[in-house]
Parts: sequence; C-alpha cells; structure tokens
Amino acid sequence: MDGEDRRDGLLVVRCQLGEREAFGELVRVWHDPLRRYVCGMVNSSHLADDLVQEVWVAVLRGLPGLRQPDRFAPWVFTIARRVITDHLRQSYRARETPVEEAGDVVADGDSLGAVLTTMQVEAGLDGLPPLEREVLVLFHLQDLPLTVCAEVLGVPPGTVKSRLYRARRMLRGVLVERGYEA
Amino acid sequence: MSGENPAPGREVPEELRRALAAEVSLASRMRHVVVGVMGGCAAALIAVLWATEPQPLPTRTQAAFAGLIAIGLAWAVFAGWVLSRRRPLFARDRVLGGRIALAAALVTGVAGTALAAARAGAGVTLGIALVGLCLVIASGTALLRARSRHRELLRLRDALSHEDPRTP
Repeated sequence: MDGEDRRDGLLVVRCQLGEREAFGELVRVWHDPLRRYVCGMVNSSHLADDLVQEVWVAVLRGLPGLRQPDRFAPWVFTIARRVITDHLRQSYRARETPVEEAGDVVADGDSLGAVLTTMQVEAGLDGLPPLEREVLVLFHLQDLPLTVCAEVLGVPPGTVKSRLYRARRMLRGVLVERGYEA
Repeated sequence: MSGENPAPGREVPEELRRALAAEVSLASRMRHVVVGVMGGCAAALIAVLWATEPQPLPTRTQAAFAGLIAIGLAWAVFAGWVLSRRRPLFARDRVLGGRIALAAALVTGVAGTALAAARAGAGVTLGIALVGLCLVIASGTALLRARSRHRELLRLRDALSHEDPRTP
C-alpha cells in the first residue's frame, strides 16, 4: 500500500468508525477529482454538481459496508460511473437513442496516447460518445492505472486498451476537425 | 495506486457541505433507532396486555389493539428500512444503538413479564418471560457484534496511523 492509498484507507476507516470530522476531510480530498470526472462525462456544470452530490450521498451510504478501505479510489469511481450511467440511460431513453457496447479490439502501438495533454483531452471530450469519453477521462484526466480503469468500468484490461485506442483515434478526428494539430 | 489520488483541492460548495452534513448526522440516526425500538417495544407490550386479558375483549377493542400493534410494528419496520438504506449506522453509532436496544429490550422484557405475572397464569408468564429473554439475547448479540466491529476498526485505524507519517 503506498502513501496515498494509506491516507485514503485511514480516512475511510475513520469515516467507518463514525468520526464526523473525517467525512469533511474525505469530501475535501475527493470532490475535485469526482467533479472533474463527472464534468467530463456530462458537459454541463450544473448537472455535474447535481450528479456529484448524488455520488457523494451514495458513497456515504455505502461506506459502512466497504470491506477494503484501501480500495476506495476504484470503489468511488465505480459509484460515480453508475450514477452517470443511470443519468445517461434516462436521457437516452428520452431521446430513444441506444448506446451500443463496442467490441473488443485490442490494439497496441498507439502512439497518440503518449502525446495527449490534459487540455487536448478536455477540448475534445464533448465530441466523443460516452464509452470512449469515460475511458479517456479515467485514464488521462484521473491518471488511473489500466487495471483500476478496468475495475471501474467492469471490463477486462484488454477491453480498456481497445477502448482507449478507439477513443484516441476519435479524439484525434475531433481535434483535427476543430483546428487542432494532430 | 499511482497518481490518481489527489491532494486536498478547492473548497467544497456550501450547499454540498450542508447536504452531506445532514447525510451523516448522528442525531438523525439515533432518532430512527429510538423510533424503531420504541415502536417495537410498544407493540410487544400491547400484545402482552392483549394476551393477558382475563375476559374475551369486544371486537372493537380487539381491533384497536391490533391497530396499535400494527402502528408500532410499522414504525419499527420504517426505522429498520431507513437505517439499512438511507442512514446506515457507522461503527460508533452501532454501539450506541445497540446499547439503546439492549436497555429497551430489558425494560420491555421485565415490564412484560411483570404484567403477565399480575394478570395471567404461570404458563403465559413463562412464555412471555422467554420471549423477553430472546429479545434481550438478540439485542445483546447485536451490541457484542457492534463492539467487535468497532474494536476491529480502531485497531486498523491505529495501524494505519502509525504507518502514515503525515498523521499527527
């Protein structure tokens, strides 16, 4: 367990004990990353605030049952993903536009990933479909390792790789279209 | 984990802070514990009164007893739902809630047995005493489990605190 995992683990254990001041600390530490993730997925600041609040409520309600305090990061992003998915599903249902699960196409040797900057990713996110957008947010904006992304998304690491590959290609297309240099 | 864990960021919005403070409120949890325990105990005592009536009761009185028992049980079920879904108890809350439940079970058990002894025969009194004993054992077991979980988390917190040089 590294220092940050330990810090999160300690905060989570203090919350599970019922130390009320630890909740504020936990929220202060994790609010920005969660908001960034949600903002990247829904493209609306007000909606993101509502969804982040929903995520926090679910997190606080689920904390007593969390058995591995050091696994807080994947757990909290999984909850955030579920909240966002529920929201997107409702809005798609309203528009009657299905979301298609993409196939597993593992691709290696993708060089674009190495040169993507945070600004580039953020600039092109709104032009991507949800599946590709969320994998870029988790991997590039939240810097989650591939295995943790896989855990959050509930798919094998190979699928994460293929989604990343596809997402980067799509992002490149979006950025080129908007006048950025590929 | 690598670099995903953030340093403390900007201030959390006040609205969110207030919503989350209400979400983790100890008072709200204890209110629901008390409501649930009182509802259950009241239903049990009314049931004892009904069961130890020496004469058969008129239908309307029976309906009133049944209604009161149903109301008490409904409060207990409602509190149980809130405490399992909306306001789950944290370790310290569980210990506190366990103590409240044990005290209430003891009082209900003794009061129910005393009522039965004063109003009914030995067989009914023994049955009610046994039910009271079961209630006390159940709440005592819940308290023991809560204390064990609390101790386990305290040990874990101490271990992590000693490992974390940034913790005061």
